[in-house]
Amino acid sequence: MKNFYDFKVDNIEGLSAQEKEFRNKELDLFNKNGFPNKREEAWKFTDLNTILSKNFANITNDYISLKEKKFELIKEFDHNYLIVLDGILVSNEFKFEDKNKVLIKEYDYKKQISVSNQNSLNLLNNALATGGYNLEISRDYKFKKPLVVYNYFSESIKEKIISYKNSLILNENSELTILNYTDTKTKNNFFVNSFDYLKLKKDSNLKNIFINKDRCNCYFHNYLKSDLEQNTNLDTYILSTGLKFNKMDIEINLNEERAKSSIFSALSLGSEEHQEIKSSINHNFKNCQSYQKIKNVLNDQSRGVYQGKIFVKQEAQKTDAYQLSKALLLNDNSEFDAKPELEIYADDVKCSHGSTSGSIDLNLIHYLKSRGIPEKEAYQMLINGFLSEILEKLPEDNLKKFLVEKIGRQINGY
Amino acid sequence: MKTEDLKNIKDYKYGFTTDVENIRSPKGLSEETIRFISNIKKEPSWMLDWRLKAFNRLKVLKEPDWQKPKYPKINYQDLYYYSAPKSASTKPKNLDEIDPKILETYKKLGIPLDEQKRLNGIAVDAVFDSVSVATTFKDELTKKGIIFCSISEAIQKHSDLVKKYLGSVIPLSDHYFATLNSAVFTDGSFVYIPPNTRCPMELSTYFRINASETGQFERTLIIADKGSYVSYLEGCTAPMRDENQLHAANVELVALDDAEIKYSTVQNWYPGDENGVGGIYNFVTKRGACRGKNSKISWTQVETGSAITWKYPSCILQGDNSVGEFYSIAITNNHQKADTGTKMIHIGKNTKSKIISKGISAGKADNMYRGLVEVKNKASNSRNYTQCDSLLMGNKCGAHTIPYIKNNNSTSTIEHEATTTKINEEQLYYCNQRGLDQEEAVSLIVNGFCKEVLQQLPMEFAVEAQKLVAISLEGSVG
Repeated sequence: MKNFYDFKVDNIEGLSAQEKEFRNKELDLFNKNGFPNKREEAWKFTDLNTILSKNFANITNDYISLKEKKFELIKEFDHNYLIVLDGILVSNEFKFEDKNKVLIKEYDYKKQISVSNQNSLNLLNNALATGGYNLEISRDYKFKKPLVVYNYFSESIKEKIISYKNSLILNENSELTILNYTDTKTKNNFFVNSFDYLKLKKDSNLKNIFINKDRCNCYFHNYLKSDLEQNTNLDTYILSTGLKFNKMDIEINLNEERAKSSIFSALSLGSEEHQEIKSSINHNFKNCQSYQKIKNVLNDQSRGVYQGKIFVKQEAQKTDAYQLSKALLLNDNSEFDAKPELEIYADDVKCSHGSTSGSIDLNLIHYLKSRGIPEKEAYQMLINGFLSEILEKLPEDNLKKFLVEKIGRQINGY
Repeated sequence: MKTEDLKNIKDYKYGFTTDVENIRSPKGLSEETIRFISNIKKEPSWMLDWRLKAFNRLKVLKEPDWQKPKYPKINYQDLYYYSAPKSASTKPKNLDEIDPKILETYKKLGIPLDEQKRLNGIAVDAVFDSVSVATTFKDELTKKGIIFCSISEAIQKHSDLVKKYLGSVIPLSDHYFATLNSAVFTDGSFVYIPPNTRCPMELSTYFRINASETGQFERTLIIADKGSYVSYLEGCTAPMRDENQLHAANVELVALDDAEIKYSTVQNWYPGDENGVGGIYNFVTKRGACRGKNSKISWTQVETGSAITWKYPSCILQGDNSVGEFYSIAITNNHQKADTGTKMIHIGKNTKSKIISKGISAGKADNMYRGLVEVKNKASNSRNYTQCDSLLMGNKCGAHTIPYIKNNNSTSTIEHEATTTKINEEQLYYCNQRGLDQEEAVSLIVNGFCKEVLQQLPMEFAVEAQKLVAISLEGSVG
């Protein structure tokens, strides 16, 4: 069978011989098994190989980004921003902040940190990564306004893979809210395989939000690895409805005491969308907390997957871990799969998970209809209610208003 | 239960061996062995062909390796696949003809084969190593048209039924251990309940591994015809040995329209000593098919023994309105490992399933619930409720939960809940305050924790199971 992809390390310019060798080795390892399929436990419900082979003829990694100059920015609230085009940092603006406290530069992809080799897509990322950014916040600095990372993709991108790595370090007692905003102007198909590394040093606090602007014909795989030190807090919000395929692979290591992490997700998936959240929360130290709440609304032919794992090490006593996934299936062609996993080696812990999936309660629809609300509106009201629990957890007023309005539009697209 | 009682039965009291002369098959897994088994059982040729087909399939299959408890590689050529007491080579017609040593063994195990002296009737089929040695209450059951005999006998006398249903739930090529069983199974029970019959007594099988270097491969087939009901119990014990012995059984249940099968297991194979030496590898395939409308299959299991327990009693809910239930207590102590759970596959409309699983781990044990709930596209208005609770005693053990949940129908509802905690200290304190010592208190609380499952067991088993729960956790709290 002819492969639907053809990746070459030589397409990347300016690599040292040593770096080339490393990348070629990683690529060979990837090529051995190709894109993952259901035989891999981490991809139990998602056959990426089939999905990509159906939608792509020949994916390559040689592309030239058009040097676009005009970018449309969000006007609804004040923010700092980074502009990333096809994975490459183009410009940045920190006008609300003390510029000495923020260190921003391009990610040095020619000297990579090596990443765990468990995941075949991480291997591929190691082999092909270009671009990306490196952001570091100085100690005791708290951002006054949120930071928006605009992820743009140029119109010329078609049948390509885009790989990059980002790294973000929050030094002691710093604070930041990031909105990862994906905006694709093209109707073309492409695959993005990115790797984000987050390091939260003592007492720091990060809110990390993911959303995208419009529906698009693109495929995303994002691996998010984070290390949390003492008394840190990481909140992740996944609101990225509208992508053809999206898998967020989240690894959170709670390495020191009182580290806290939560994941919230509200997704309303439309026709033929496939979204997967895979989390593995590793409680490596005592007295840490983790919380996950995933809510999916599934329309026509969409598929939602949640694979969550809580791992508690033997020494991680007094762990408090919670996990809940709920799905509303609106159509018989939609599907929700869950694998909420607990692996626990410490006894003085409180760990629980719950998972439900089902349809909208017709009694509730009847109740609303009997009060003069049209059926379609009644559905929307109930879906809104279902997702609002997550939206209420969002931080900061103007940003929240913007996001709630955005998600409202996504739901009403139903 | 009093502390003295606990002390008396603290050790694995079924650990003795019985000295009887054995007939064995040639050592190792080969066509010759299979022919030997088939020959000694005087099987018709179709059965031998079936076994050989399984054996050929086995050659290309690989042992699964995704399970959590890992074990050293089993040398299949170093096992005896058939071992039977010499005295049983001609099937005894009544109890007087059974080797008194075997009768004594069952007496020691507390299993009454002596039917005259029984007051409340449970029909028993006793399987000793590879053969069924006695089946009680046969006459009374025959009057109702119920067939309850060893599978070897059924293959000869009721070959139509066996041919029709054997392998229809667990196909020949299902997975490594199931296929191995299909090739070399030696005995087991066969039950057929005719239409519109309620089996008047509990049917029960006791399995006993006695000989060393043998594996036990039994096969059970239960068919409940339209509108019938049967409750079936299974118990098992084995002597204490330093070696690990393999037990790979297949159990197939078929429920037709409006029929109900209740299958209860109290599994108490030798778990190995406290350093994890010896013990049984319990790799069992149990599957039930609710073929007919309104049919019901209910699995109840109390798993306290075995070095490694690896089994998933499952229900395939094909018929509309069919119901599947799974109630489980799995207790692991010392170095025991369990990877158990269930599969509920909803295919028919309005199908319902319920899973209640209680896992308790102590010592250095690992206890895992792994299960699948799948609602297929056409299974509208289906319903599942799953509850998995784990209890940890001590900080060297592990408790894990891996449920797979697939919902492909918008009118169906799946609910899953799981918790992991340790014994509530306030509850312990409360009990201590009222004069119960630590172990009595733990036993009381654990029994309360397991109550939802214990309730499902038939009376005789419930008492035994409650004792087992207490014994299994002996010495785990200090």
